[in-house]
Amino acid sequence: MSTSIGKRELDETGRKLLERAMRGREEFEDLVIVPIFAVIVALILGALVMLATGVDLETIGRSFVALAKGSFGSINAVSETLTSAIPLVLAGLGLGLGFRAGLFNIGAEGQILMGGLAAAIFAFSFPGLPSFLLIPLALIAGALVGAIYAGIAGVLKAATGAHEVITTIMLNLSSYLILIYMLKRPYVQVAGRSDPVSKSVPPAGELPRLLDWLDPNLRLHAGLFLMLAAVAFVWWVLFRSKIGFAFRASGANPDAARYAGMKSGLIIVAAMASAGALAGLAGAAQVQGVLWRATPGFSAGIGFDAIALALLGRSHPVGILFAGILFGGLEAGGRQMQVDAGVSIDLIGIIQALIIVFIAAPLLVRALFPWGFARAPKGGK
Amino acid sequence: MTFLSKFGLAAALVAGSVTAASAFTACQVTDVGGIDDAGFNQTAWKGLEDVKTSDGIEGRFLESQAETDYAPNINSFIGQCDVIITVGFLMGDATKAAAEANPDQKFSIVDFAYDPTIPNVVGQVYATNQGGFLAGYLAAGMSKTGVLGTFGGINIPPVTDFMDGFVHGANLYNERHGTEVTVLGWNPESKEGLFTGNFESLDDGRAFAQNLYDEGADIVMPVAGPVGLGSAALADELGTDALKIIGVDADQYMTDTEKQHVYLTSVLKRMDATVTQVIKSAMDGSFAGGLVVGTLENDGVGLAPYHAFEDAVPAELKAEIEEIKAGIIDGSITVGG
Amino acid sequence: MDVELRGLTKRFGPVVANDNVNLMIRGGEVLGLLGENGAGKSTMMNMLSGLYTPDAGEILIDGKPVRFEGPGDGIAAGIGMVHQHFMLVPVFTVAENVVLGVEPTGRLGYLDLKKARAQVEAINEKYGLHVPADALIENLPVGIQQRVEILKVLFREADVLILDEPTAVLTPQEVEEFFGIVKGLKEAGKAIVFITHKLHEILAISDRISVLRQGRITGEGDPATLDEEKLAEMMVGRHVSFTVKKTPAQPGSEMLRLDRVTLLDDGDDRLLDNVTFTVHSGEIVGIAGVQGNGQTELVEVITGLARQNAGKISFAGDDISTLSVRERHRRGMAHIPEDRHRMGMVDKFTIAENMVLNSYYDEAYAAPFGSVNWNRVHETAAAFCVDFDVRTPSVFLAGGALSGGNQQKMVVARELERQTRLVVASQPTRGVDVGSIEYIHERLVRSRDEGDGVLIVSSELDEIMGLSDRILVMFEGRIVAEFDNTGGKADRNQVGLAMAGATGTETVGGTAA
Repeated sequence: MSTSIGKRELDETGRKLLERAMRGREEFEDLVIVPIFAVIVALILGALVMLATGVDLETIGRSFVALAKGSFGSINAVSETLTSAIPLVLAGLGLGLGFRAGLFNIGAEGQILMGGLAAAIFAFSFPGLPSFLLIPLALIAGALVGAIYAGIAGVLKAATGAHEVITTIMLNLSSYLILIYMLKRPYVQVAGRSDPVSKSVPPAGELPRLLDWLDPNLRLHAGLFLMLAAVAFVWWVLFRSKIGFAFRASGANPDAARYAGMKSGLIIVAAMASAGALAGLAGAAQVQGVLWRATPGFSAGIGFDAIALALLGRSHPVGILFAGILFGGLEAGGRQMQVDAGVSIDLIGIIQALIIVFIAAPLLVRALFPWGFARAPKGGK
Repeated sequence: MTFLSKFGLAAALVAGSVTAASAFTACQVTDVGGIDDAGFNQTAWKGLEDVKTSDGIEGRFLESQAETDYAPNINSFIGQCDVIITVGFLMGDATKAAAEANPDQKFSIVDFAYDPTIPNVVGQVYATNQGGFLAGYLAAGMSKTGVLGTFGGINIPPVTDFMDGFVHGANLYNERHGTEVTVLGWNPESKEGLFTGNFESLDDGRAFAQNLYDEGADIVMPVAGPVGLGSAALADELGTDALKIIGVDADQYMTDTEKQHVYLTSVLKRMDATVTQVIKSAMDGSFAGGLVVGTLENDGVGLAPYHAFEDAVPAELKAEIEEIKAGIIDGSITVGG
Repeated sequence: MDVELRGLTKRFGPVVANDNVNLMIRGGEVLGLLGENGAGKSTMMNMLSGLYTPDAGEILIDGKPVRFEGPGDGIAAGIGMVHQHFMLVPVFTVAENVVLGVEPTGRLGYLDLKKARAQVEAINEKYGLHVPADALIENLPVGIQQRVEILKVLFREADVLILDEPTAVLTPQEVEEFFGIVKGLKEAGKAIVFITHKLHEILAISDRISVLRQGRITGEGDPATLDEEKLAEMMVGRHVSFTVKKTPAQPGSEMLRLDRVTLLDDGDDRLLDNVTFTVHSGEIVGIAGVQGNGQTELVEVITGLARQNAGKISFAGDDISTLSVRERHRRGMAHIPEDRHRMGMVDKFTIAENMVLNSYYDEAYAAPFGSVNWNRVHETAAAFCVDFDVRTPSVFLAGGALSGGNQQKMVVARELERQTRLVVASQPTRGVDVGSIEYIHERLVRSRDEGDGVLIVSSELDEIMGLSDRILVMFEGRIVAEFDNTGGKADRNQVGLAMAGATGTETVGGTAA
């Protein structure tokens, strides 16, 4: 028999071990300085691309001013940035959680579609419910259906070893067709239309707009709180809860997780379902907050952008939040670039991609800006 | 650093000029096909450019990349433009919402008619079934296999109107000539037919035309914006003896210059004409909410010249087309059912 | 060729990894370099290979100073490294691996494999390496793979061979063969640097010995005048005991019983074949055997990681044949896994997280809403670190950042600092420095004395002989012999013979087999 675990008196040496090491400068550089430089390099390269396509310097300057103005330069810009960020962050949180558990879930797009569809159907099926019931219940319906849809891939992996990359890609393709099929059912399809469009979410099911008292065109809706709550919740799950500990252990070292008695099958299904619930919530928030109905293309690639977002945020909830705001800003600012400078929206896509490339390659950024960092890249002088 | 400093200078210079006030501004939000789709969006934009050239107004546009962009794109223009033109049936709801929230902003929407009408929105709609009817009659007369084909982008009235007219036009030809030309891809009674589900994929355009060709069709009318460019590419490869294309919206002989020889004709939907008309009404103060309808009579719809096939179309057939056009205008021929 | 290090110093931030190191490496001689993990051996060798540039001091080859700027410079100057972790492409043949990077090419750059093969065969012949040049690496045993690494540096015409912990992966028989090869290389005039922390090996093979501690050379000498105790003292800096101090076992009630346990692989081969034995409280049972004879599977079956195809397992009288890993663990079965990096820990997790890897769900750490009381975890982890002398500045450091010995102490602490009744320890001191080995052994004996049953599986016969009260020998999935080792009376030779599969060995004393 040995000593038992639990509360222990600590002597001086023991207490010293509890001191948290200062956040290393290197970590700070990776999390803060690298992204900032990555954005700068991406913008410069974006300018070069514009130059190469024959855009003159003045227009380039004007377009970057527009980018800044359109992303954070006014109430309207901030509202648009956050509105775009909401579904991105929600779906990104799900993917990040999956990555932490070692699951490379490509299926957020499909889970968003299924979740959004479920929320729309639920909302128009119970138009009589009061807001305080209809809004949360419809959101839950979306999360639940997203969880079930992602759970399929989880069960397939746990039971047969089918790789989640393959199954989720296939489930994405299926989801497009399921959506169109469902939208054409008489129960779902709005009366008087022959194209696939769902009935509208009743006003009681809409996520209330937060700033319409200022200006009716401000689209920011209560999904903002949902997003912030989800960030906190996922952080708690990953870093405070028992199940999150098991997720992270399985992701970092599956053999050690097995050794520790964690049930890998259960963890795979639980992690996939949680990821799906968050993606489903993203779809529901989009339907209840912005679109008010489901149509064939309503996911608009958010599920794929969210993959980049989760990687950019290093699968950390707070990182994902900031990455989401960055992406939302690029989207809103990109629109302003088009309006003010007539620059193609495709250029924004290029800049977005460049930012991801540079953040994903911190050593490259360190090599480009040696004076920005305390230490030269490893292996140097 | 020199580049950076120059760049900074340019940015500073520009920051001042952005806010400079300008003349009358007309703005356009495109649908997902893009401003250069050689059809639908491009034709509407041409209407705006025409006024720009003639009256020196400002013109701006925003391209929608997905349905989720409609509302924010429209919002970006509110208060910045004298009139906002939204291009496409699918933008109906977003335009309505924005118009009701901003009663002082003038709107116009291509391909959507509100019932009841909204005071600050002009709907622009087109009797494309009339143009489609002429194209159907012509195609039935030109087909060697006795099989025609059509397909659409998605199953919405602005698309299926073309297809309705096409089928009915071919039916009239059968009635008059005792032939049995069939049209694949659309059933006007059940409202079911072939649809790509998008307005973007050139691959789909190719694949759908290939399917119709495999079923015997030698003339195909794609009603799906730039998707039809894929069908034209197939016709170019197969040769126009095997497959001819009927363009829609714009005169595609003029817009798709690389493959122009494959177009038997195009069903014109003169969005440029109605867009010009709406902008001018906004400029001279006569703007009033309601409806503008393009017809054969007011040249809002029509049939493009035969161009490459000018010599191939028999003179009798040309005469019949003219006669039917006159019949539709005076009401002696109905294009429906 | 001779290589001299003169006043070599290398710092990493505030840490001085090498401090004014002087060393002479001579052709035709084996220099044994001894040091604990983290003593600075790797840093020194990386400076010799050109990977690091020294902050001070110089390297002289045949009396002339040289300067290495990059990783390729060492081998270009004739200094070749054989790393502990092999750098071979498993799906390539031996010859392909050997020439990789310096491929002999014909005209237009086509790969002349025939020539490569001939060159490899020539080296093979010259040094008696006996490596099949056309075999795929993945089909070769570890010992032969290591010779391929040696072939690689010889092919690159190295005159100085640095062998980093070369015996860590070898069986006792393979070590013997390996020593034969080293002697052959020495006679051919090569200079050999033999890095290890195993004392008897360094005494057996070296012509001269240098000891490194905390970045400094702390001792040098002739093996003839040194013994293990003196070397250990130079290496650790204090007196180290090699004999495990323990009183005779006082076996109590039956703690573990395996009854005709059989485990099949995917085919029909028996990984475990009718294994039957018992472990009582208050005794240490050692499983001896050459690696790969079913020991790994035995431990997996006992701890619940694998499910036997037939047979029964009892733990303290209860049938646990179908219980989960967690339930067995919860009932007081501790498990020190054979490979801590693969299974025993999560490198990226903090020490605190690693300390609760398999007990995070315990009531002692419970907090509302299914969360973990992390403050309690951190305090407990700190206490464990103090108890088990895990040397770290903080429990928030990543487990992977600890030295091997401290990592193992962390794993052992986690397993033993609970209410345990049976300790299953697999290779408990593999890759661990001498000081930590002593400590871990002491703790295992203490567990026994507190009434636990202890089962030790090790491929180090010395460890089994020193710790066990009873020894079982495994061969091809079966228990082939049992020895009573009270007071160390088992015959080492007899055990060795049984390990090699010699038939006719009798059960010598002991309890039921």
